[in-house]
Amino acid sequence: MENKIDFEQLAHETRILTGFTNAHETLLIEAAPDITPHLVHVTEAFYKILHTLPKAQPFLDGRLEALKKAHLNWLESLFTGPFDADFAQGMYHVGMVHVRVKLPVEFMQGAGTLILSELISVAKEVYRDDAQRQADIIRAINGVIGFSVTIMQESYQASSLAEELDKFLAITGMSRTLFNNLALAYEN
Amino acid sequence: MRSDLLTNVLSELNGASADIEASAVISTDGLMMAAQLPSGLDEDRVGAMGAAMLSLGDRTAQELSRGKLEQVLIKGDSGYVLMTHAGSEAVLSVLAKSEARLGLIFLDVKRAAESIAKLV
Repeated sequence: MENKIDFEQLAHETRILTGFTNAHETLLIEAAPDITPHLVHVTEAFYKILHTLPKAQPFLDGRLEALKKAHLNWLESLFTGPFDADFAQGMYHVGMVHVRVKLPVEFMQGAGTLILSELISVAKEVYRDDAQRQADIIRAINGVIGFSVTIMQESYQASSLAEELDKFLAITGMSRTLFNNLALAYEN
Repeated sequence: MRSDLLTNVLSELNGASADIEASAVISTDGLMMAAQLPSGLDEDRVGAMGAAMLSLGDRTAQELSRGKLEQVLIKGDSGYVLMTHAGSEAVLSVLAKSEARLGLIFLDVKRAAESIAKLV
């Protein structure tokens, strides 16, 4: 499924959809030296909140450190860019992995909001003496989180549908080729 | 060539009973191999739907411990659709009138399916 997607196009469209501009990208890269030292605290705060949710425990048990490391790497990538086809493909893959481990979609959406909130707090603190810079960086952070979550969500939906289709084919005994021919016959 | 031979089998089948209105040989992937269909019926849809129904019939027979599937019969108020395997690679689908005498049609269809199985 992943190799049929035009990630260049996906990145381009998602940028438009989420209002994530080249100017935002530049701002994030400029802000990296100021923000990056605080990202480990963002990751810690995020997982601390997740720990309060009993439903989240099965996804955390036994792999918390690995998850934190991956999370921190992703946060750092938000301040390095480039937010191109490769980045979009990476986010798409993360969405697919979340489906594979059966993470409820609301966790992914909620996590985006939580992380955004934590990053805004960091930006407010770091740029407390420069209101304009603070507002610009917050907009850029909002853009990049929206960009990432929207791509993951798209992959989540596609992967969920693919999983449902696999189940349907397994239950009915239909081959994928037959299903494709059936879909083609009713395309118009 | 094979398509002509399959069409001959279908013509013979359609001619065997006035109750048979149409027939088609479909690959198990749902592609039309040969057909004697009235105009207005979409070959692609007939093919894909027939193969899908037979596939579902196979699974139903298996799940409900009915043994190896022989046929799928659908009855509507305007007639019947009968589908049966014709070898392991093809499906024979037949449309029959609502007043059709099914016993005779079953026999004709069985014979035709055996002939088709030898050709595919």
